[in-house]
Amino acid sequence: MHRRRNQLTIAAVAFVLGLLVIVQLRAQAGGAAFAGLSSQELTVLVANLNARNDQLRREVATLERELATLVQNEQRGDASIDELRADLRRVRLYAGLDAAVGPGVTITIRGPIDGSGVEALVNELRNAGAEALAIEAIRLVPGVVVSGAPADVSVDGLLLGDPLVIHAIGAPDKLTGSLTRSGGIIAQLAATQPDVLVEVLPIDTVRVPATDRDLVPENGRPRL
Amino acid sequence: MSALMARVRAIPSWQLTLFVALLALGFLVAAQLATEAPRVRYTTQERTPLVETAGELLAQQDALKVAVLDLRAQIQEAEGTGTGSAAVVAELNDQLQEARIAAGLIALTGTGIVLQLEDSLEPAAPDANEGDYLVGSLDLRTVIEELWTAGAEAIAINGERITPTSAIIDIGPSVLVNSAYLAPPYQVTALGPPDLYARLSASPGWVDFIIARAQKYGIRVQFAEPESVDIPAFVGTVTLRYARPEATSSPAPLSDPEG
Repeated sequence: MHRRRNQLTIAAVAFVLGLLVIVQLRAQAGGAAFAGLSSQELTVLVANLNARNDQLRREVATLERELATLVQNEQRGDASIDELRADLRRVRLYAGLDAAVGPGVTITIRGPIDGSGVEALVNELRNAGAEALAIEAIRLVPGVVVSGAPADVSVDGLLLGDPLVIHAIGAPDKLTGSLTRSGGIIAQLAATQPDVLVEVLPIDTVRVPATDRDLVPENGRPRL
Repeated sequence: MSALMARVRAIPSWQLTLFVALLALGFLVAAQLATEAPRVRYTTQERTPLVETAGELLAQQDALKVAVLDLRAQIQEAEGTGTGSAAVVAELNDQLQEARIAAGLIALTGTGIVLQLEDSLEPAAPDANEGDYLVGSLDLRTVIEELWTAGAEAIAINGERITPTSAIIDIGPSVLVNSAYLAPPYQVTALGPPDLYARLSASPGWVDFIIARAQKYGIRVQFAEPESVDIPAFVGTVTLRYARPEATSSPAPLSDPEG
């Protein structure tokens, strides 16, 4: 009888032990995702994930239409030259290989801003959905960097004057709102670089030139 | 000593088993409470559904990315096998392939380096900002700008390709790149010339970054130079909604101030 009770005690302890091990492992695994994000930050995350997923859904729809047309043409024995041209235009525009035009904003910066200040503005414009960007006549594509100390800023080797102008194509109200909101990038710049004046002007027609860079890497090849 | 051993031997074995089991139990209870503690800070009623929603959206994103990659592969194949005016089709396909590489839509392999950035392990000084001890979006942007300047030709962070439209922003202790959620450690993979690291480490901007972040706050920066690096393709939309090709290809960016 005495022995039986001991066994029961041990069984009960082992049961609780096992339960705790599982709970602990689950907590470790689940806690790792989004650890340290506040409710407010999670809301921003959800909004961003929704935006990206919507984009991806649109892309899936576009690609499905494209594929259907290609398959149809092939079955009819037609060449898909129009589709290829349309696809080429779409990709070249995105890459910065062709000049672009559309609604957007121009941002005029007066005063001694530094390179990282301009990069911060550009990053905020991209975050607000800017589709094509240029500083003066230089299209901003991967590899182009704005750098330099205040009043000595250059982009892609071109020394920029004062004032300097950023051209951005995108939804004018979204681009303007994102830059000028309280606590936004312009407010931050005003606090850290008080002599710099940033003016945002929404306009109907912004023109952004094509890049003159060769964007095909010399040191890489397509991975199959 | 032998007296102690004799006493230990005198204890019934079930008691020893129970002792060990209880010890483990106590440890686990303590560990459980310890992991609960920091999470309690944010455990509000609205947080749990948000975490669940974010998790579901991430899963959807993964599935959508697979769908996009799959469709792109099918389209490329269909375009390649097009019949008709073979020469024109072949020419267009070559141009398309080049444009896709330029746009970051093609995965690449080649020479390059991998930089890994991790949060500091040093305790924050009493008067310091805790955020200074974490890798943030500004750090990643600085590293990317330095890599471009050193001659990098393609860059990805934790699998997200840097494209003409990529923004990098902070979200709590993590970042969003192309609106994708990335958490540390951050692996910045850069394709470039074989002497990319030599060029990078000789750059005054890079030296400033190491002094300001690694030496001052203990941000951990590691570097690897594998035989070849793989840069993934950008998996997102390249369909622009506001920008359209300019009818005439005039070279200057003459934004119309009249609107």
